Amino acid sequence: MTDQNKRIKDYFCKHTTRCTIEGVKKSKRFVGHDILKADAWDKVTGEAVYPDDISFDDMLHIKIKRAVHPHAILKDIDISRAKKVQGVVDIIVAEDIPDVRQFGLIIRDQPVLIAPGEKMRYMGDALAIIVAETKEAAKKARDLIQVKVEELEVITDPFRAMEADAPNIHPDGNIVITHHLNRGDVDEAFKNSAIVEENRYQTQFIDQLPMQNEAGVALYDERHGVVDIWAATQWLHDTQADVAQSLRLSKDQVRIIQPTIGGAFGKKEDVSVHIHLAIAAMRTGRPVKLCFTREESMITQSKRHPITIINKTGVDRDGYLTAWETKFVGDTGAYASSGPAVVHKGMYHATGPYNCPNLRGVSHAVYTNNTYAGAMRGFGTAQGAFAYEQQMDILAHKLNIDPAEFRLKNIYQKDSITPNGQQLTHSVNAEETIKRVMELSDWKGGRK
Amino acid sequence: MKKFGRGMATIMFGFGYGEGFPDHSIASIEIKEDERIVIRTAAADVGQGVITTVIQIAAEILRINPNYFEVVQGDTHKTKNSGSTSATRQTYFTGNAVKKAAEDMLANLYHYGSLEFRSNHPEIAIEDGRIYMYDDPDDYISYWEMAERVKERGEKLEAEGSFFPVTYSPDENGQADKVYVAYTFLSQVIDIEIDTDTGTIDLLDVYSAIDLGKAINPKNVEGQIEGGTVQGLGMGMMEDQVIRNGKTLNAGMTDYLVPTSVDVPKFKHYLVEEEDSEGPFGAKGVGEPTLIAAAPALANAVYDAIGVRFFELPISPSKIKKALKEKEKEENS
Repeated sequence: MTDQNKRIKDYFCKHTTRCTIEGVKKSKRFVGHDILKADAWDKVTGEAVYPDDISFDDMLHIKIKRAVHPHAILKDIDISRAKKVQGVVDIIVAEDIPDVRQFGLIIRDQPVLIAPGEKMRYMGDALAIIVAETKEAAKKARDLIQVKVEELEVITDPFRAMEADAPNIHPDGNIVITHHLNRGDVDEAFKNSAIVEENRYQTQFIDQLPMQNEAGVALYDERHGVVDIWAATQWLHDTQADVAQSLRLSKDQVRIIQPTIGGAFGKKEDVSVHIHLAIAAMRTGRPVKLCFTREESMITQSKRHPITIINKTGVDRDGYLTAWETKFVGDTGAYASSGPAVVHKGMYHATGPYNCPNLRGVSHAVYTNNTYAGAMRGFGTAQGAFAYEQQMDILAHKLNIDPAEFRLKNIYQKDSITPNGQQLTHSVNAEETIKRVMELSDWKGGRK
Repeated sequence: MKKFGRGMATIMFGFGYGEGFPDHSIASIEIKEDERIVIRTAAADVGQGVITTVIQIAAEILRINPNYFEVVQGDTHKTKNSGSTSATRQTYFTGNAVKKAAEDMLANLYHYGSLEFRSNHPEIAIEDGRIYMYDDPDDYISYWEMAERVKERGEKLEAEGSFFPVTYSPDENGQADKVYVAYTFLSQVIDIEIDTDTGTIDLLDVYSAIDLGKAINPKNVEGQIEGGTVQGLGMGMMEDQVIRNGKTLNAGMTDYLVPTSVDVPKFKHYLVEEEDSEGPFGAKGVGEPTLIAAAPALANAVYDAIGVRFFELPISPSKIKKALKEKEKEENS
């Protein structure tokens, strides 16, 4: 036991780090210098402890049985054959955890396990937690679980989801949230514009693809009533709160320790392994480990939102933007995740860094039966930029102006007003970035 | 045939949660008798380098070599809330929280130093881990000795800092006075070559200029620019999780294409450092902005090369080939 205590202590200490300063030893200033990354040495030498590096002697392994259909009512789940697999310690289904609550980043719409009579809404929904002495046994048992479902219409397109006769994926309807932007008089401004350009843009599902898949280890400290979870999250205290409310524990009873994180890019904002780990650790009283495969990670965890963007942009004869109308429809998949924040953030950036006095916009985040979409580097604005920066290029060509000059004409200055009506009071050097990149690339009207 | 193309994009990104959502970070610093300065923060280092950033900030304020620092990272029972590593916010938010904690610590060093030397703050010098009177540098007390003496008083040589700027929730028309704490701006020019037979895009050069206030660690900023741009180019020309009827058809690295080292173009960049934001030393966040311009700059370069607009991502070789064929047909008819 002492041996194991010592090892647990090790895992509590490994996430400290030190910085080396090769090359700037004599400097009095440290900000603005290329100081070697504090975690570089550990990562290069393999010293860094990732969740899969954490191991305990009597540790059990978890696999998750997932949905068999993207939109269906679970009629029956039969675990009798799976339970007979040698090495299986526990198979947990919804009826074993009646008090557990739903979880989710902004809207708590995700079930921990789907119960008979309830719906699975995408292929990543969890039906059972299989806990076994080995990964192989857990996997074998998982594949022997038999599921009966009643299939429903699979909604794959947010525009279909918004139609009146589309079945509701969640009880309150398929439109998760709608936002608006309104400034000035768009209709009048379009009437007085020299050119009006309208286009429809479409972006795709993207996986954030961090090198490290979702993984974690948990241990139940029965004496203190605390469950220790080693698993990556981008917001420790938010994940702690969500796990605690889901399991009806106090925050003090859920301790999350960051192992070394092998990349995230938004994908590790959502709860992944955490709740299943805690349930398994508390029920079995033994340390447990759950590591997603890449396939499981891609199917189960969040994606970049595919967004349909319709932009209508007006300019006057002198090349100044007059009006901008925009519509963002984001496919947030089966669960809301960060969707209620992503899609309209994209719309709030719909005009790019350009002055435009008249503006009208609407955005919808919409449920479908696709893998849910959430946060990814850019958070809706990467999709928006693909649309607004092509609008700018198209208009420059139509006006017969150098695209760089057209941008310079319209670029934000100090005291410019954003689509949200925010006056930019400080740190607005957008114009300089254009001038500098023109210099750097020897820009000559767009041709080399 | 190979066709050269060049495209430009300029983007903005309002960072932090904004929109009136409570957004703050708490950090603490402790000087220990055993020659360690411990920073505690729950700010997740996902590889972007927030650990290094906060060490540099604290070292600058506390006027001591970064080598003495140790960062205790995320543990809900040891570190207070630092908010998420997302929204391009950690350098700005946790950077400021650590800066404030370090300033409070510096004030403590002056306070306890003035007690030890029976003097006032202006007569005291603090640097390189030593506290002394200006006129007698040889008679110094080290930070570690000071930690010991403070401990003897039954206190700890520690300090906490938090940063909690205000934003406002937009009204039903999306309007508010301050929706985001600040904006990062970036302009990018991308040069490509398209093989008109295969439809493949060769990435040649990427030029970037970023308005980031101040680079705390220029090398790490360079890493963000290159990593972010390549990820954005993945979005632009190849990445696509194909979900048909709710089922992913390419769940794995064999069928899901992502840029590799052989796809990476050459980079040149310019940092616009006006030090004019309210972040630590004037710094603004760079994480997300470095990705955003890549796909549109690429799309504009593709148009420049072959005269075809693509409104749907990714701009894959098969789409390019198909478009070229259609264009040829149109021109011949």
